[in-house]
Amino acid sequence: MPEPALVVEDYSFWFKLAEGGRALALDGVSFEVAKGELLLVLGTSGAGKSTLALNLVGIYPDFFGGWNQGRVLINHPERGMVNRRQLDQGQRFRTVNMLFQNPEDQIVTLTVEEEVGFALENYLVPTSEIGARIDRALGLVGLEGFRERSTMKLSGGEKQRVALAALLALEPSVLILDEPTSNLDPVGTAEVLDAVDRIRDRLDITLVLVEHEVDEVYDKVDRVLLVDNRKVHGPYSPRAFLEERGLSVRDDMGLWIPQAAEVGLGLCQAGVPLPSLPLTGDELVTAVRATAGPTARANGSPSPAVPVAPPAPERPREPGETVIELRDVEFSYPSGQLVLNGVNLGIRRGELLAIVGQNGSGKSTLAAQLNGILKPSKGEVLVHGKPTTRYRFADLARRVAYIFQVPEKQFIRNNVHDEMAHGLKALKLSPEEISARVDDFLESVRLTDRRDTSPYVLSHGQKRRLSVGCMVIAEPDVVVLDEPTFGQDWQQAQRLMGLLWQLADNGAAVVFITHDMRLVAQYADRCAVLCDGQVICEGTPTELFSRPEVLARAKLKAPPVYHFSRELLGEPLLSTADLQSRIEEHARGRSGTFL
Amino acid sequence: MPVDDLELSYRQADSAFHRMSPFAKTLYVMAISLAAIFNSSLYVGAFLFLFTLVCAACFSGVSLRTYWSFGKVIMPFILILALVFPFFYNQHLAAGSSAIAIRTPIKDLTWGALGFGALLALRFLAIGVSGLTFAFTTHPTDLVQSLSRRGLDYRFVHAPVLGLVLFPSFLQLARDISTTQRIRDLGQEVNPITRKLLRLKHLAFALLVLGLRRGQTQAMALDIRGYGAHRTRTFMRPLPSSRAGTVFGWACFIAGLLYLVLQLGNLAGKMPWDL
Repeated sequence: MPEPALVVEDYSFWFKLAEGGRALALDGVSFEVAKGELLLVLGTSGAGKSTLALNLVGIYPDFFGGWNQGRVLINHPERGMVNRRQLDQGQRFRTVNMLFQNPEDQIVTLTVEEEVGFALENYLVPTSEIGARIDRALGLVGLEGFRERSTMKLSGGEKQRVALAALLALEPSVLILDEPTSNLDPVGTAEVLDAVDRIRDRLDITLVLVEHEVDEVYDKVDRVLLVDNRKVHGPYSPRAFLEERGLSVRDDMGLWIPQAAEVGLGLCQAGVPLPSLPLTGDELVTAVRATAGPTARANGSPSPAVPVAPPAPERPREPGETVIELRDVEFSYPSGQLVLNGVNLGIRRGELLAIVGQNGSGKSTLAAQLNGILKPSKGEVLVHGKPTTRYRFADLARRVAYIFQVPEKQFIRNNVHDEMAHGLKALKLSPEEISARVDDFLESVRLTDRRDTSPYVLSHGQKRRLSVGCMVIAEPDVVVLDEPTFGQDWQQAQRLMGLLWQLADNGAAVVFITHDMRLVAQYADRCAVLCDGQVICEGTPTELFSRPEVLARAKLKAPPVYHFSRELLGEPLLSTADLQSRIEEHARGRSGTFL
Repeated sequence: MPVDDLELSYRQADSAFHRMSPFAKTLYVMAISLAAIFNSSLYVGAFLFLFTLVCAACFSGVSLRTYWSFGKVIMPFILILALVFPFFYNQHLAAGSSAIAIRTPIKDLTWGALGFGALLALRFLAIGVSGLTFAFTTHPTDLVQSLSRRGLDYRFVHAPVLGLVLFPSFLQLARDISTTQRIRDLGQEVNPITRKLLRLKHLAFALLVLGLRRGQTQAMALDIRGYGAHRTRTFMRPLPSSRAGTVFGWACFIAGLLYLVLQLGNLAGKMPWDL
């Protein structure tokens, strides 16, 4: 048995409730993490992953209250296995530390150098040592030469790496990373994950990674821990975890799983077992070729019907009329910074348009032009043929609904019912009609039982559903969403996107800004790629992913299924369900050959 | 985030003011402020403004355009002082004068009244320019270090730095909430004044809830990085300190103090309490 770095023994934790009393958040949790290991913690939104992480470092209960029971033992470099409560603050956080989700919440100084040195200064590290430690930490995260940079002018990925360097400078034995890539664009995510690889190569450090979207990391982790309903299960080996639980991890628990594994598990359920469960595209390609052979089987027999990843709903082929038209739109902030530069784009009824691009490319600014939050410096934005500048703002906002990435920002009422009813009052509907429609919508977003609750105390998924519901209840012509599935588990994301499909089917135009290429592949009818304030590509997801030069320029990545389906079939597919069906057909001898 | 939000932050450069210690710069700003506040001469007012302007232009390493980018924000306020107040002016405001400086109804404009307006404007310009020189050339951590060395707890004096870092994101949050209020037409059913009040009330509440939530995460981030783990901390950044700067700071302060004494001397026997 390798030497443990972290041991949790029968640990329970209760939150202190504002109205008095306590609420159980972790129930008899026990597990061990070996030295140098990378442990992936999975769980649905609100399952208690972050609570577990905060308890491991001792933020809960020591700094923010609550009650606990059981022990958390940490392998201290000098004292060996020791209960973390026996370490003072300085020793504890130099042994186990934690990186938060949002880099903005962690940056507290003005330059990179100060940020990385901040904790060292607080822990009274001699000034003569600090410089070398900063250089070492910045080297580990690939930010050499960034010492003098202002923290305010860094990209999201750079900020997260600076925050990571600040922790590495303390030389902890155990580092917990709480969804470190969830706020980042694909290039920022890749930067942070590269940094994690480098750290593992160069340091003997134990990493605990809490993540939702696992495509990029699943094959790198040593073991997987599942947090479910206040308890933990495992750790398992990554392959054993999926083999044991199968697609129920996705379909029943709502977790994201790697696309290659999704196809492998689907095939297994459909009676086309692969030699071993693939976790990556390469493994899938090898396994499928080994199982089905290069040519179709002659005597394949049909397997019983099994659930597969939900196929994309049927879409009307012809897009509707253009509702919004952007003509040569330019936009600059008062500082003179040009954010949009000659944008031409049409938004049509009945389609889902994805706006993609890296952070800072102008996506949010473009979206803000659509309902007049911002007005173009040059050019015009026409809604139903009339420039946004000639609309009364509230009238335009009713036609073009804008939904923020952070749902709390758009709540203006004291309870869920009033929040939902607010948009209808402007339509001068009768109270009976308002009440009936609100009840219908509360049912459709599954919030009927929370109608009298304050919007601020809902769970993240509930807040997101409410924020969408209260903006679409008035049946706008266009719905604009900023990162609609941010922080959502697989099930919540599918339901939300299903709701948007339904809106588009009913004739609305749906525009969503996203970094999630899986979402784009699965749901978008059309994509507009923004880069340096210009639309550099417009077309279907397949057209976008087939243009590597555009992807490289906009720093985007096609979803894994696109690559491994092309390698396998010679033809790229956008959904795992389609690929699974094709492999099944092939295995049963009804279609052509694999490459 | 629009860069405009960061206008007040420190500007990296190598100038005489950058090399001065925060304490010496504080002496300079105090001297200018004392002299400007107690000054009643237009000539001295003009001298103080020109002096601070020359210091800003030649010794702060920051372009006057940068000063102007902030100055234009407060310019309407200064113009109001300079141009509107004289209409309400009643005789020259002299120390010990029994006449009050401002009164209604509006009077005819006189040269004396215009001079009074100009004096007020110059007073605020001198204080403003010297204050900006301090802000542009003093690294916030140096200020923390300087105050910490004078015995203040670093956890408290670090607050301004945190404020500087967090202010833009707080401002962005307020903007987003205001935008939401407009999008959702909050207060659509009431008159414009009540709507404004309603929106202000909602803004305050939402900022409190979201600000507290964010503040809690930031407090966690500070805790795990040892903020407050010890009563003191080390500072890797050497505190700037130049002999010339210290002499300049003290010279300004002594000159300001002497001017103050002179002004107070002129007041002897003329104040209302000198019966």
